[in-house]
Amino acid sequence: MSDLAVSPNKIPAAPSAFAKALRNPLWLRVALLAGVAALLEIYGRLYADPAFMSPPSLIVNAFFTKIAPQPQILLALWYCVAQIAAAYALSVMFGVVIGLAIGASGFSRSAFFPIILLLYAIPQVSLLPLVVLMFGLGPVAKIAFGFSHGVFPIIMNVVAGMRDVKELHLRAARSMGASRMETIRHVILPHAVPSLFTGLRLGMTLTLLGVILAELYVSTGGIGYFTRVFAESYDPAPLFALTGCLAIIAVLFNELVRLAQNKLTPGKRRPPTLKNSVKE
Amino acid sequence: MSDTVISIRNITQRYGAADQTDAVLALDDVSLDIRQGEFVCLLGPSGCGKSTLLNIVGGLFKPTSGTCTVNGRLVDGEPHPDKVAFVFQESTLFPWYTVIENFRIALKFQGIAQAEWDDRAMRALKAVGMASFARHYPEQLSVGMRQRVNMARGICVETDILLMDEPFAALDEQTRMVLGEDLSQLLAATGKTIVFVTHSLAEAVFLSDRIVVMTARPGRIKTIINVNEPHPRSPDFMLEPRFSEWRNECYALLRDEIRATMAAQRDPQPQSAGA
Repeated sequence: MSDLAVSPNKIPAAPSAFAKALRNPLWLRVALLAGVAALLEIYGRLYADPAFMSPPSLIVNAFFTKIAPQPQILLALWYCVAQIAAAYALSVMFGVVIGLAIGASGFSRSAFFPIILLLYAIPQVSLLPLVVLMFGLGPVAKIAFGFSHGVFPIIMNVVAGMRDVKELHLRAARSMGASRMETIRHVILPHAVPSLFTGLRLGMTLTLLGVILAELYVSTGGIGYFTRVFAESYDPAPLFALTGCLAIIAVLFNELVRLAQNKLTPGKRRPPTLKNSVKE
Repeated sequence: MSDTVISIRNITQRYGAADQTDAVLALDDVSLDIRQGEFVCLLGPSGCGKSTLLNIVGGLFKPTSGTCTVNGRLVDGEPHPDKVAFVFQESTLFPWYTVIENFRIALKFQGIAQAEWDDRAMRALKAVGMASFARHYPEQLSVGMRQRVNMARGICVETDILLMDEPFAALDEQTRMVLGEDLSQLLAATGKTIVFVTHSLAEAVFLSDRIVVMTARPGRIKTIINVNEPHPRSPDFMLEPRFSEWRNECYALLRDEIRATMAAQRDPQPQSAGA
């Protein structure tokens, strides 16, 4: 009741730092993670079989004692990053070029798009032994497998982005006298950019999956080899530490694509640079 | 008539083959002459082919039969951007370009020399009072502001003829009235010939020199109403008794057409469809 009588001139006091922090969703996220870690710690120390599970503290400890000091493992991680980067670069190059070619006209789209959809739907893991036979035990097989996973979502999203261009935009461009090439360059391609980035992010996730799958299936000195060694010697702490490293690599790569997306998508809401602009 | 700029002769537009049951006759033998500097509204029930007619005049559609000439040149499904500019709904602005870039691209498509782009763009933007928003993206503007910009984009190419396809349909009533005033002033200032498709009665009466009332499908010209009122028109015009008379006349004409369409849809027998 008395709230209603407050004079309109009275400015409410600035919220305290604590109240501000409370409104940030970050604390809940951190609290949840900390809670899960604490539960794992208790369970790992008191009840779990040490051959299969490790409390988080031992995993962190294993990272510093068994992963970080071993140059072979660090080198294997570095190879893994390099393979992902190579496979992804190939996926992006071929994905964008093939996608543009297929999406360029309704005819080529009708002809080729179903084939892309079919290829994308094939569960490629079943072909992994064949890929290894074809490309050997080295990095080429991993890059090839990462590429074959990453390229299809990129093609699909480029084609979809070009297909979904608004009829009204095309008609407007035509009424202004735009040529076919101008229409593609200034209407169809900019329209496809958000969809392209969806494809690039999906492609990144799947490239990672492809490379790591191939790593785990067969590897003579890479991450796959070390995970097998740790698993087979019932030493879960470094195994989890290694997995954590892979997760961090994955997050970093995904972040990279996301940053590129935010930077490069045209027409994203950003503050105007000039108040009373006349000339550029 | 020597000052005729758009001449529409016996235009018929059919979608789908004539022998097919789902073929639609959108326009049936439409003929119309539009004079230099005239503001002509195409008014009719939805689906009567008024947008189709506009697109034929603009060269975006090729008519099934009949001819359309603009400035004596035959239009046959080929746009002629040097003579005719289109204004569609506000969503036609390219959202990936800023306002000024939208103008530049329109002028580039039109084949205008690059040196002129910014001058022309700023002139058109000033004419609609949007000069300070040149660097904004369309989505940063309100719907009404976007339509102002969109209208200015149609103006900046400086063609003699402006074709407007329900440009204000997505706007609220007060905004469309304000933009209508702008348009009336523009007409008086530039002497452009404007063909305007709408289904708003008040808009048609407020803006037009002539209102072409069309029948329900298949679209034919039912009547042409002359609105003898000089441009630019002020909002006071809407308070005049003659404004209401013209408006009511349009409504009475359209009402019959809409009733006929509804009856045909309720009872899709051949005889009632022809009623």
